[in-house]
Amino acid sequence: MKKTLILLITLLAIDLAAQAQQRKVWASGAARSIFLQNELDAGDDSITSRKLNSGHALVDLAVNAKPNEQTYLHAMVRIRNDFGGFWGSGITFDMRQLYLKGLVKDAVRYQLGDINYRLTPYTFFNHDEELSAHRSEALDIYREITRYDLFYTDDNTWRQQGAAVDFGLDFPGYVHGMEFNFFAFRNRPTDFGGQSERIFFGGNAALQTQHFTVAGNYVDLLDLVGTSNNDQSLHNPVATANVEVDHEVNDMTFAFRSESGISQMYTLEDPSSTTLRDYFYDVKLVLEKGKNMSVGLNYLNIGSDFRSVGAQNKRVNYEAQNLLYTRIGNEQVVRPLTQLDLIQDVSFYRQQLRPGLQAYAPQFDNIMPYGTATPNRKGLVANATYQTSNELVKAEASYKMLSEVVGQGTEDLRNFNAIDFKLDLGLDTLLPSWNKDLELSLGVITQQTTRETTPMEGNIDLSSLILDLGLKVELIENLDLVGNYRVINSEGNELLAMRDVYTEVVDFQEFSTNMEQNMLTLALRYHFDDQNALNAVWQNLNFKDSATDVPEYSVQQFGIVYSMRF
Amino acid sequence: MKRKKIDMKRFLIILALSAVVSSCNRSEETFEGPDLVDIYGEFGIIQDFGVSAESVDFSSGSTVYFTAEFTKLTDWQISITHPTSGSVKIIEGRSRTLNASNASWDGTTTIFPVFETGNCIAELYISDDSSTHTVSLNVTGTRNLDGTVISDFETAIDPNWTLFVQSGANMSFRTDNQLTAPVGAKYFDMGGEVNWDWLIGLFDVPGTAVGNDGFNLTSNPDDLYFNVVMYRPDTLPNGFVLFRFSEDEDGDGNFNESSEDQYAVEVRDFKQGWNIVSIKYSDLQFLVDGVPADPNGNGVKNPDRLHTVSCLFLADPNSGYAQVLMDYMVFTNGQPLKL
Repeated sequence: MKKTLILLITLLAIDLAAQAQQRKVWASGAARSIFLQNELDAGDDSITSRKLNSGHALVDLAVNAKPNEQTYLHAMVRIRNDFGGFWGSGITFDMRQLYLKGLVKDAVRYQLGDINYRLTPYTFFNHDEELSAHRSEALDIYREITRYDLFYTDDNTWRQQGAAVDFGLDFPGYVHGMEFNFFAFRNRPTDFGGQSERIFFGGNAALQTQHFTVAGNYVDLLDLVGTSNNDQSLHNPVATANVEVDHEVNDMTFAFRSESGISQMYTLEDPSSTTLRDYFYDVKLVLEKGKNMSVGLNYLNIGSDFRSVGAQNKRVNYEAQNLLYTRIGNEQVVRPLTQLDLIQDVSFYRQQLRPGLQAYAPQFDNIMPYGTATPNRKGLVANATYQTSNELVKAEASYKMLSEVVGQGTEDLRNFNAIDFKLDLGLDTLLPSWNKDLELSLGVITQQTTRETTPMEGNIDLSSLILDLGLKVELIENLDLVGNYRVINSEGNELLAMRDVYTEVVDFQEFSTNMEQNMLTLALRYHFDDQNALNAVWQNLNFKDSATDVPEYSVQQFGIVYSMRF
Repeated sequence: MKRKKIDMKRFLIILALSAVVSSCNRSEETFEGPDLVDIYGEFGIIQDFGVSAESVDFSSGSTVYFTAEFTKLTDWQISITHPTSGSVKIIEGRSRTLNASNASWDGTTTIFPVFETGNCIAELYISDDSSTHTVSLNVTGTRNLDGTVISDFETAIDPNWTLFVQSGANMSFRTDNQLTAPVGAKYFDMGGEVNWDWLIGLFDVPGTAVGNDGFNLTSNPDDLYFNVVMYRPDTLPNGFVLFRFSEDEDGDGNFNESSEDQYAVEVRDFKQGWNIVSIKYSDLQFLVDGVPADPNGNGVKNPDRLHTVSCLFLADPNSGYAQVLMDYMVFTNGQPLKL
């Protein structure tokens, strides 16, 4: 079977090459090879294997077809060979993606199959995972691979399967036009027993003038009754409205942005289910001066019962366990997820939208764990950006001063404070004779959660610090030295809400941490061209948390990473 | 410098839209989840344990309730004991207060025999501080028992019954009073060892033995319960009881097995001590060797045409001696028997 597949793919590639000149059918794809060598040092641990080797090579081969000007077809297969599987025994073939898209009458765009989609941060939005606010090229070597495998994109789309349609109407006069977008995705298939087919659908309509935009958005996750023996049907409709106003004065732009809306979550024919209803509003004022400076201030209020599966779904499954050194120490305790794992272990990540507020890691983010649409938050967020025209300085800062809308277990509210500061320095701009890249970056995030209440066991004091230092030095043409040093400290206690299947709080779990983890990453990167690079990456992770029974340990990792796209 | 004026109309539209969307109701709950005081708070008694009345006459339908108030949610148990008979009623719960909604007593019994009149002691046990608190209560009248009584086993077996007892070893199909009966003084003892047959013994109670009009039951099988108080010694778990309900559908005064319905239920699960077994008539099934099957008659449960109630005591012939005691066999309307 595998020989037949290889033969077919080879013939297909020859045929594609022959047709490439007409550009009606052509091939594209990506390839990579990774070899990793890990070494664990966990003190007197005499049980865990210290050294591990792993690696794989894979090719994503896509066929692109454009039978006419209005239709485009893309199909991609993945051939993967894990190192150690000789003579084809470790090879897997998978269909990675398949979609068809086109244009009807030059007016209506459609796409069928695999689709990357998003609406607004409160309706359908794939918010970034923890520890991803500060980017550096050293960390991106693995992170980009993870994101590519999971179809995560910089525009925060979710990869779904289904159909999408969009079209626009142009008007003469004051109103420039209207845009309409609709989608329907199959979220979960039926098992013909107790699990019904689940779909996620919705869309939006936006009316635009030169300085004014108003839009209505609607999404709903629901179970289709009749597709299984289960009469119960989950519903999570969310309706929101956006209003945006821009006003320009010389090189200054004043902008007003808002989104507000309502949500419900309930299960029909389930006598135990209650209906959660709530609303939110998020208004923001922005002042931009040219392209170099902006300041913004927004006030948000998101109810504790606001539920939006498409916007609150977490990328990271914090209930999963590491594939690398799953248990360590003579007691073989489960090794918690660290920054090293978060960057490179694809098995921690979700691609399917699931109802419910999933577990999160308060030591990484306790303030907005469910992204912008995190329920039960209100307060002010201020942010500012500045950059010089010559790219010497690029700085961003934000300050969140939030609290809960209602308390948990008490009427006293948690207070949240967070500072996020990023600075990129293009030092090469100061050295006219240095015609290579020389870049430094700094990132700092501090978070503080506090609550004082009675009884005192309900007091909360949790703080965390994430510090990033990044470096990029172009040694010779096409050869870079990139590095990053990240420290994460977290100290204090929390009472984590335990929720039932209807996402209502039913209990609290005590959480305490006194964690310190730091990771040094150094890499040599050689660029063959813009889409073709070879990296040699060395990393050292140190971890300790005296508030848990996880032993202090360190992991060294050396990797060879070759990646290309074509 | 030329300045553009901001169109006030636009901002009014924005404000109106925001107001419309934002004017939704939000839950009025003051916090999410369980109260932290209930989880971490210090336990204390705000109101001492008390009772709503010093005496109560349950025969008139009266009830009594207990009162107390605590500083936090706590697990509690009230045990009401009749000192001479040993009757016990247990009420338990988890709350901040004891009141009529969660700590009422209607004269029923948890540990038999049923309550008699006289002074009782009510003891409150609080798990948070392992403390006990007592109040006394005088019962001046006991509950009136409703329903159609098939037998209370206080007298010898009615001669109108059909009794069949195998000729095994240690056979005891008789009324007895060696143990304390849950109701009255006597109960029915079914015991014996039959090593060649599952059947140890049986009795049939025809409707004519209960009243001139037979059982005189309702026609609604969803509103009728068959109840019996049963006891199986913990050391003899092999015996079980099959109750059969034979209907005279054509009204000829006889039950014809081949053309009329006979519904049944097996009682195999016994709790420790005397326990009330209640079966809704509509839950009965036609059984063939213990397996549900289509009945031979009209397939409609007609309790108003009930002809005979049969009780078969069974055990694996290889399992040795078996014994089950029973008392107070009764049909009740609307709800299971409460004693």
